[in-house]
Amino acid sequence: MRKLRLIAIAAFSLASLLLPCSAQKLVTPVSAIAGEDITISTTGTGKATFYLSGPGVANKRDVTLGDEIHLAGTDLKIAGAYVVILCADSCHGSTFYVKGSKPTSLALLVHPSRVPVAQSDAVSGVAIPFDRFRNMVLEPVQVNFQLTAANSAPVSHQIRSQNGIAWFRTASEKKAGKLQITATLDSVSSARVLQQVASDPCNLRIKGQRTAKGIELETEPVKDCSGNPVPDGTIVTFNLSGENGKTTVDAPIKQGIARARIQAQGPQSVTVASGVVMGNELRIGGQP
Amino acid sequence: MKGAIGRAWNVLALVLISLSPALAADPSARVELDISKAGPRAVEPQTQQAIRRDYRVAWSSLAQALESNSADPLEGPFVGTAKQWLGDTVASQSRVGMTSHYAGQTHKVQAVFYAPEGDLIELHDVAEFQLQISDGGKVIHEQHVVVNYVVLMTPAADRWVVRELQAVPQF
Repeated sequence: MRKLRLIAIAAFSLASLLLPCSAQKLVTPVSAIAGEDITISTTGTGKATFYLSGPGVANKRDVTLGDEIHLAGTDLKIAGAYVVILCADSCHGSTFYVKGSKPTSLALLVHPSRVPVAQSDAVSGVAIPFDRFRNMVLEPVQVNFQLTAANSAPVSHQIRSQNGIAWFRTASEKKAGKLQITATLDSVSSARVLQQVASDPCNLRIKGQRTAKGIELETEPVKDCSGNPVPDGTIVTFNLSGENGKTTVDAPIKQGIARARIQAQGPQSVTVASGVVMGNELRIGGQP
Repeated sequence: MKGAIGRAWNVLALVLISLSPALAADPSARVELDISKAGPRAVEPQTQQAIRRDYRVAWSSLAQALESNSADPLEGPFVGTAKQWLGDTVASQSRVGMTSHYAGQTHKVQAVFYAPEGDLIELHDVAEFQLQISDGGKVIHEQHVVVNYVVLMTPAADRWVVRELQAVPQF
């Protein structure tokens, strides 16, 4: 009899230790989609406190064990890891993940804002798809980058995103002007415009003559190697070398041509440069 | 002699307890950053150091914010979406009296994309820490957590900032 009582006490003690652990359980979904409602199953009987802790949210409420717990999509907007905890006699937790939903916007980074023409790998674009809650869309998607310049056919690059990012790099066009870059993913698109400008001058040539007031020098229309006029304001340097020493004059390009008038006695040797580009050499006599 | 050995064991036990990541009170995070797979642009050593430093600061700040329920530590290391949702978490926790404690953080971070112009870097972080969630000061959940994070960082005026911080089941 005494033995039986001891066994009963031991069994009760064991049960009281085990029951709180097995009495309440949470069954969470394997994964959920951002903004969509989910249901969590519970087991056990009695009252409990339910906690939700995740990106952008922390809340608690009283629940009845055995009932389903409904989580509204408004609490699950941010993709990431969520912890749910159920506390009665003791607490039990579980973790589940919320994934981003369908892409609804594209962030597009394009560089640089101004680029010299005919430069290899000079233009780059990075597109990042986001869902309506600004979660990154990490599943691979096809992004179409379209480059449109005036007077030339559009060029497309189809890029599959990797780790949530699609990117391309390409050469700038030969013709100066605006270049529009549009990234498209299904019905979502994003566009940026960059300016292609003339590159360094090419075939820089000068002509000059001596007048009663000195030496007058001017360039031929300054263009890059693709034939684009070099922008006004670009500095052209004239170097004069004669019996009385050297003279240097900087002149900005105006309407495609740089001009300079220089007081210099005797015969002169004249050279011209713009940036790292040298032009032709000119010899001018001492008399007009 | 026996007493001396006993004291030595006690000291050793105290040292081990103090070094235990789960019990460490230091909120700072340990970050390893591997740049060997970054591209298309190569990450310069100085940039690597700056990103590692600023990412570590970001996680220390995140831990402080969620433990103290104050959004102040988020100012600076976070911008955009990451700052928004972290701020919302702090506000929600504060409203219901919950706190989250991140202890013993280690982050094994790999740079997987560095934009051609150097204005964006994507990191994959395998983060490991002891997460403790409390309600009104009472611990309701404690778990050793290993979480994968996809991170976007961009350069700001004087530091790299976390723009996106998204936990994923796997990379």
